[in-house]
Amino acid sequence: MEILQGFADAVGGILESSGLLTLNWQNYVMIGVSIVLLYLAIKKQYEPLLLLPIAFGMLLVNLYPQIMAAPSTELLTEAQCAAQNVATSGHATTVINGITYYENPTYGGLLYYLYQGVKLGIYPPLIFLGIGCMTDFGPLIANPKSLILGAAAQIGIFVTFTGAIFLGFTATEAGAIGIIGGADGPTAIYVTTKLAPHLLGSIAIAAYSYMALVPIIQPPIMKLLTTKKERSVVMEQLRPVSKLEKIMFPVIVVIIIAIFLPDAAPLVGMLMLGNLFKESGVVERLAKTAQNELMNIITIFLGTTVGATASGQNFLTFDTIKIIVLGLIAFCMGTAFGILFGKIMYKFTGGKVNPLIGSAGVSAVPMAARVSQKVGQQENPGNFLLMHAMGPNVAGVIGSAVAAGVLLNIV
Amino acid sequence: MNFSNVTSLARTAELSLAEKGITSAKVVLTGFVVVFAMLILLILIIKLYSFIVVKAQQGGTKKKEKPAAVPLTSESKNVVPAAPVSDDGVSQEVVAVISAAVASMYGSPEKVKIKSIKKSNGGRSAWANAGILDNTRPF
Repeated sequence: MEILQGFADAVGGILESSGLLTLNWQNYVMIGVSIVLLYLAIKKQYEPLLLLPIAFGMLLVNLYPQIMAAPSTELLTEAQCAAQNVATSGHATTVINGITYYENPTYGGLLYYLYQGVKLGIYPPLIFLGIGCMTDFGPLIANPKSLILGAAAQIGIFVTFTGAIFLGFTATEAGAIGIIGGADGPTAIYVTTKLAPHLLGSIAIAAYSYMALVPIIQPPIMKLLTTKKERSVVMEQLRPVSKLEKIMFPVIVVIIIAIFLPDAAPLVGMLMLGNLFKESGVVERLAKTAQNELMNIITIFLGTTVGATASGQNFLTFDTIKIIVLGLIAFCMGTAFGILFGKIMYKFTGGKVNPLIGSAGVSAVPMAARVSQKVGQQENPGNFLLMHAMGPNVAGVIGSAVAAGVLLNIV
Repeated sequence: MNFSNVTSLARTAELSLAEKGITSAKVVLTGFVVVFAMLILLILIIKLYSFIVVKAQQGGTKKKEKPAAVPLTSESKNVVPAAPVSDDGVSQEVVAVISAAVASMYGSPEKVKIKSIKKSNGGRSAWANAGILDNTRPF
């Protein structure tokens, strides 16, 4: 009899602590959302390298919210909390025998610790290090005017900022939402953790979704704003760039940007360090590690923990819908301003610049450049815009890091 | 849900419409000007140093096209399409392709003179390229 009683108590205890009793409806909705995202990542291959860990992090945190719980020490009732002047917000709660305890575990959840790299702004610059190793700034050095297009595509960030302010977001939140228009995942995450960490889940998911949708979002805007004649411009071959120029580039850029805009230094600095690894040719081992192993490890940590910020209670708010709409506007505006400045350059150069390369000014390397190439080839199958579009494309990475620095400084 | 409504109400109460307009105009203007100023500064500096580097490299030794390894016959210099005959490991077809590429890079074909073509054994393999492409795609 005693054994049976013990068994019943044990099963009861397990049931009480199981998700069946502790999860609320938002968690179940988010579990559904994460399964849809997993489907999109695996079956449709939308940015699977990021979407898969993000979706799984989302799944985990909604099944077991304590996986993101912060570390603390004791179990306290509300009365005890009040008596000891302990803040109750931000702690996970456990219900035992009908009394709500504020749970202060000695150790935080697994993802809480991995998340510190996001929260403290460590992962995004490390990803930039890897990107720097993989980026060839040659097309940009050969045609420095591309930087204008990289700057133009950032206007969307600031226009969206205005939209967000008028929709009732605070200035810091609006800054973080606007940065989605930079179409640069690590930059968006970096800025959001500094300005509005509570919106991280929604902003990161919006940013990465729109980056995956670049080939769908951009072409209609590109076609709408350009004429057939402009789209069929064949551009001159870029001049060859010497090794010395390529080595000097990262050093010069980091000196200029870090002096004038120190807030952009962590992102631009790591990007340029990675690029110097590559171009110097003397630290091949470091370059290989930064762009392969290190970057992959960071991507796993970043993706999973960013997904884990999207718990039901945080994510299922009206703000998220507003962010997703504003993000789309930011993205479209960035594309449109890039194209419009491309048209201005087309006029000024007497028809030598194909305005289609302007849309590549939103970062999203190298997807946006591929889109320029593809749309150009639809008009003229013998036209190869890819290298010309890579100039504004890598300029967009520098541009959005600069825009991030500006936002961090003035907002 | 109710909570978020309350906070957004509180937010709207914080800033009046005029204040919102001023804040956003300030940010848009500053952002626009600073981003363009920084990138235009970079354009000028890149132009300047490329100019110096290119001049310095031209001023030093007249650059050789490529190190001599496979001396070519006078026939292949003129890029005459011919049957793919192997000439010390490099077929004339390949010579024609390389000459065409070089001629298109440098503009007019009259200025270009290819002295030799050599196989290089460095560079990335097709697999390395595929790996890098795979890694760069999401960012």
